[in-house]
Amino acid sequence: MSIATAVPTATETVLAVDGLRKIYDEGTDHANMAIDTVSFEVDKGEFVCIVGPSGAGKTTLLRCISGLASPSAGTVAFEGRPLSGVPEQLGLVFQDYSRSLYPWFTNGDNVALPLSARGMPRAERAARVAETLEAVGLGHVAKKYPWELSGGMQQRVAIARALSYRPELLLMDEPFASVDAQTRFDLEDLILKVRRELGITVVLVTHDIDEAIYLGDRIVVLSKNPSVVREIVEVQFGSERSQVETRSSPEFLELRNHLLSLVMPKDV
Amino acid sequence: MTRVTTSLVPTVRPRRAKSGLRRLGQVLTPVWLPLLLIAVWWFATANSTSPFFPPLGDILVDTWNQWVVFGAWTNAVVSVRNLLIGYVFGTLIGIIGGSLLWRLRYLRVAMNPIIYFLYVLPAPALLPAMIAIFGIGDMRQIALIALGSIWPTLLNTLDGMRGVDTVKFDTAKALRLGGWRTYFRLVLPGAGPQIAAGLRASLTVGIVLMVVSEMVAANSGIGFFILQAQAEFAIKKMWTGILVLALIGTVLNYLFVFVERRALRWYYRSRALGSS
Amino acid sequence: MRRNPHAWLNWALPLITVVAVLAFWQAITVGGIVSPAQFPTMSDTMGALAGEVASGRVWPAIGATLIGWLIGMVITIVLGLIIGTALAFNGFAQRSAAPVIEIFKAIPAIAILPLVILVAGSTLPMKVFLVCFAAFWPFLIQVIYGVRSMDPIVLDTARALGIRGARRFLAISIPSSSPYLVTGMRIASAQALILCIVAEIVGGAAGIGRNILLAQNSGVVAYPTMYAYIIVAGILGVALTGAFFLLEKRVMHWHESQRNIRASNVVGAA
Repeated sequence: MSIATAVPTATETVLAVDGLRKIYDEGTDHANMAIDTVSFEVDKGEFVCIVGPSGAGKTTLLRCISGLASPSAGTVAFEGRPLSGVPEQLGLVFQDYSRSLYPWFTNGDNVALPLSARGMPRAERAARVAETLEAVGLGHVAKKYPWELSGGMQQRVAIARALSYRPELLLMDEPFASVDAQTRFDLEDLILKVRRELGITVVLVTHDIDEAIYLGDRIVVLSKNPSVVREIVEVQFGSERSQVETRSSPEFLELRNHLLSLVMPKDV
Repeated sequence: MTRVTTSLVPTVRPRRAKSGLRRLGQVLTPVWLPLLLIAVWWFATANSTSPFFPPLGDILVDTWNQWVVFGAWTNAVVSVRNLLIGYVFGTLIGIIGGSLLWRLRYLRVAMNPIIYFLYVLPAPALLPAMIAIFGIGDMRQIALIALGSIWPTLLNTLDGMRGVDTVKFDTAKALRLGGWRTYFRLVLPGAGPQIAAGLRASLTVGIVLMVVSEMVAANSGIGFFILQAQAEFAIKKMWTGILVLALIGTVLNYLFVFVERRALRWYYRSRALGSS
Repeated sequence: MRRNPHAWLNWALPLITVVAVLAFWQAITVGGIVSPAQFPTMSDTMGALAGEVASGRVWPAIGATLIGWLIGMVITIVLGLIIGTALAFNGFAQRSAAPVIEIFKAIPAIAILPLVILVAGSTLPMKVFLVCFAAFWPFLIQVIYGVRSMDPIVLDTARALGIRGARRFLAISIPSSSPYLVTGMRIASAQALILCIVAEIVGGAAGIGRNILLAQNSGVVAYPTMYAYIIVAGILGVALTGAFFLLEKRVMHWHESQRNIRASNVVGAA
């Protein structure tokens, strides 16, 4: 399989992972191969979910494709170019919002942080911050501090921060794992709405199969560590989804059974 | 390795005073014991014949005379000025040094034993050396205070920076903040609480060094005033010096806490709310 | 085999640096960049140090400093534990005492040194009193913090088992709050050593500090001896504070393993 080069294709490939391998403590006697061989591609506008049993190296995979960590072998290409560090057009949302948001800045300042790093002038920054917070449903919290908000709201601020500079690709590492179930549904719908409105591409890592089916256009299923891609499952729901109807449809249940059988720790 | 000192400021308790009586109790509780002790001191020494413990009333009167009327307050000005210059200089070096050691791992490994040695060396031991180098005068005071102020701040800065959450560094990389921005907007604020603790310890060291330096081969300052009075056997005068010094020490500490609570508002408020 | 091929640097780098610093010291003093009237050469200083050790003069000085430190520490710790625990268990007493403790902590012990000398002379009791005056307050604060941070379940268990008074104090309260206590002892130890030196330099009590000052007064020819004794003071600091740092690590490690049952809400040892 060849890496996507700068030759434009009909649907543009935003992310191309080819033969990714990650070994921790390579060369010692306690070397640990977290990822064996993982390859997949993400096209523009797609919503790809990555699932797998616990210990499958999902977070490691995310770190490698975001540029936070470098792979032991294989390549990652973002918009046709190989990664060196975190690309400018990438947005990241971590699972632990309380550790990721900076508590000495207000919510507005947190969201403005990447904007000032990119040299946006002050007036424009303020406008963009207001706009982005509005888009995640938090129009009134700019002057407050993250720790004054609930968990779900904090994660919204983190999402706003990742989106403020309009990245091409949004990477999310189990973003809704630390909030309660009700808030999780709200946030899932939020991310679908945001994706629709901004037209961004999303790659979301989760351990929650239902979430993966609800959100994703395609689901990359990883095996247990050392991980390989067991299967890439297509999800046919289209862009109009609702928590109640979609989740109770027969297609949803079918997909669920299929994915459970792939992910549940029976063998392999 | 923790080098942080704490202060006994009561934790913020979100309790509403149910009645005026309760509120009165809340106000009086921190106040009655100090007042009682002062009263005890007053009455115990009121008719004192001991040469070393004159009546508190006389001391207070003499404080006014000596320090306001006779102009001894210039000593206080000199002392505090030297302290501030030395302290600012020393702690600045401490923060910069701590930052460098945090950033350059090999430098940290290399300098570790030397810096540790200088940290545990009792700073007053350096006074005679400072006398040898600087002789008499303000420069010596300032140099000694600066030298002593460096280490608590330096080590706490280093510790504080090393303790900043890695997730926040990942965030900084994800947001592409770059080196300097990461330093000023992540590392420095993140280490803020521990740097503040170091600054507080440095202040304590600085005050001790200020007085010590003024009590040996000196010609101005509060320490000099107290020692001079002692040498003249002017006990009341000596006591006024002690009072003023105690007052200055207390005021400086409260000022520090006041500024710290405001600068680190985010930290104290977030802790009061129970989140980390 | 560790992956780290640079592990040897962890001890080599500091060693090389120390040697380099000493060499640099020698170079700038011998080379005349720094005047010998102000700063002796490294070789002279080390020679003086060796001389003091060989002649046995260094030991009485260390002894005199240490005895003041030791007696002061013992009194501080005993008083601090008793009073601190008592205060910690009684909220009203603690809130009343807090401002007094803060005020006394802010008074530099050296302020009363001239007074104490008048009353007690340049003696050991003078030194011990000053040490206690300086070390007591920060230690007391740590004791109160430590006892207050105790897991309430531990206390309830003690009460249910009928353990009271001195036995509860010794067998329950002290071990549970040990990280804070050891931190407090380390802070107290550092303060104590500082005040010993101060009492010796300013107050003329016997000890390392007095030797440093005497050497300086004796003029340039004795500067190597002066710096030799400063180094001795530093070594003493390393030994004493270092011992408490190690103890702190030990105790915190033990404490962590005892407390992994339920997450503590204490934000680390202060």
